Amino acid sequence: MNAARGDGPDLLTAGLFAGFGALGLWLARDLDQGTMAQMGAGYLPRAVCAGLILLGGVIGAMALRRDAAPIEGMRLRPLLVIVGSIAGFAFLAEHGGFVAASLWLIIAGSLADPGGRWRTVLMLAGGLTAFGALVFVYGLGVQMELWPI
Amino acid sequence: MNTFDLLMLGFSEAMTPANLGFCLIGALLGTLIGVLPGIGPTATIAVLLPITFFLPPLAGIIMLAGIYYGAQYGGSTTAILVNLPGEASAVVTALDGYQMAQQGRAGSALAVAALGSFFAGTVATFGIAIAGPMLSSFALNFGPAEYVALMVFGLLAATILASGPVLKAIGMILIGLLLGMVGTDQATGAERLTFGSLDLFDGIEFTVIAIGLFGFSEIIANLERSGSEGVKLAPMSRMWPTREDFRRSWPAVLRGTGIGTFLGILPGGGATLASFSAYSLEKKVSKHPKKFGTGVVEGVAAPESANNAAAQSSFIPLLTLGIPSNNMMAMMLSAFMIHGITPGPSVLTNQPEIFWGLVASMWIGNALLVFINMPLIGLWVKLLTVPYRLLYPAILLFCCVGVYSMNNRIFDVLLAAGFGLLGYAFRKAKCEPGPLLLGFVLGPLLEANLRRTLLITQGDPSIFVERPISLTMLAATVILLALMILPSFRKKREEAFQEEEA
Repeated sequence: MNAARGDGPDLLTAGLFAGFGALGLWLARDLDQGTMAQMGAGYLPRAVCAGLILLGGVIGAMALRRDAAPIEGMRLRPLLVIVGSIAGFAFLAEHGGFVAASLWLIIAGSLADPGGRWRTVLMLAGGLTAFGALVFVYGLGVQMELWPI
Repeated sequence: MNTFDLLMLGFSEAMTPANLGFCLIGALLGTLIGVLPGIGPTATIAVLLPITFFLPPLAGIIMLAGIYYGAQYGGSTTAILVNLPGEASAVVTALDGYQMAQQGRAGSALAVAALGSFFAGTVATFGIAIAGPMLSSFALNFGPAEYVALMVFGLLAATILASGPVLKAIGMILIGLLLGMVGTDQATGAERLTFGSLDLFDGIEFTVIAIGLFGFSEIIANLERSGSEGVKLAPMSRMWPTREDFRRSWPAVLRGTGIGTFLGILPGGGATLASFSAYSLEKKVSKHPKKFGTGVVEGVAAPESANNAAAQSSFIPLLTLGIPSNNMMAMMLSAFMIHGITPGPSVLTNQPEIFWGLVASMWIGNALLVFINMPLIGLWVKLLTVPYRLLYPAILLFCCVGVYSMNNRIFDVLLAAGFGLLGYAFRKAKCEPGPLLLGFVLGPLLEANLRRTLLITQGDPSIFVERPISLTMLAATVILLALMILPSFRKKREEAFQEEEA
């Protein structure tokens, strides 16, 4: 390794912590601070955010002094497919009913794993959708339309 | 009523056909997910939390508790038979258990694990029955200042005893606290941190965060390192341990039970820490420490008893003080909350049937698990051959429907997907999401009690050091933190965790 510095995962941590802190401070900008005896809505959020930024700074500074360590490789396929299929489920559950949403979720979600065969995926989708409709919608009474309205 | 009467009350509650059924379902489900690698009890309970909303309070809690301790049993089965610990707490069991299986003593190892766990479960259950009323009558004297000190101690001790860097864990707690503040402020009615969105005015639902961070991001992470196809099994053999195995394992079971019960009560303790500690203790007291790792029966008996004892005794702080000690207990806390029950000292006096029913059902559940496990091991092991690509779509569907059903809101599903992304980022940053959950559930309690304390004293924080109980707990917190900064202790702790990972 060359003389590169910076522990990747820790730098990411520092960024996440400081980011949350900054976001919180910005969101809390209009909140009432209050006093120690009569804490306003903004007192503790600001304290926590300040703590997060401070902690992010410390972790970041320490990470910079360590040897370089890469962040584990990312594979975009599972990430995008899973998040996309959940978002699609949310959209379809509202406009297309449970059956369409569930079929979409399982068929689209199966694309995250390249090894799947179409026949198994379709059978799985059909079976799970039927199971979900029976157990959740009929059995437990989850309030969701089965079919498009 | 004395303890005996109360225990009888508990058994009469737990023995109703419905509750017995849910206990069985929980134990079965727990064994199932314990056997399947890639699905942990935290994620499972997160998925099932919304469903318990449809059940009576005691039934729901009995089922969730069954999943937790059932998973400890199931995790050891795969650890022994295929060297694949289904749960983190079974990692050390695999060291000697798998070696025993290789020598054709798999049946004996499984039986020792099951019987040791049952014994440990029985002892820990009685521990709860005895310690519960004592601790909660003590806790009735707590004022807001004591609660603040207790929560600060609990949160910080949890980060120190858990694995991973302490600074990151503290940061995760702070993020949890911040997320807990989203929504309408309890005291002033002001909208906080909502981005002006109406959907966030009521705050974020616990299940949304739990399913996002544990359910969704676990699926994504598992798919990233795919290749979890079927596995090969060690041949099964005679089921009953030899007399020699019994003779060597019972002291180990006793020690494991003791250490597990104790570690389970501590904040941040729990099954995983207990099984690792029990294994190293066994190695220290053994006359032949070099033999560990080559199939020694003590190496199975001690950690298995310890993890089961700890899984049960970690209910003590939750049920008596209302303070969850690890992320599993944070889940249980929200399961209580769903039904409008706030765990704590008052539950014992106002709703004794809940506390004693749960205690009794834990003992019944442990007995059931012995029966589920011993004859059915072959069946459980076959499940290992189910590839993950058939499992995860089902988990995905349960997660989505579960999140939706809490409030019948599509927004929650999208928010959970967002937390899935966040959980993925945390994984890449090597941050454990557990402390975040603890911070999130304790946040509102901590804030309310802190405000109350300072309102009473008119802004004078010296009350925290003037009250003896609060002073003790704060002093303990400071000492723990100071120990963390001392380099020699830090090195020891790192070594301890290195050993665990090896």
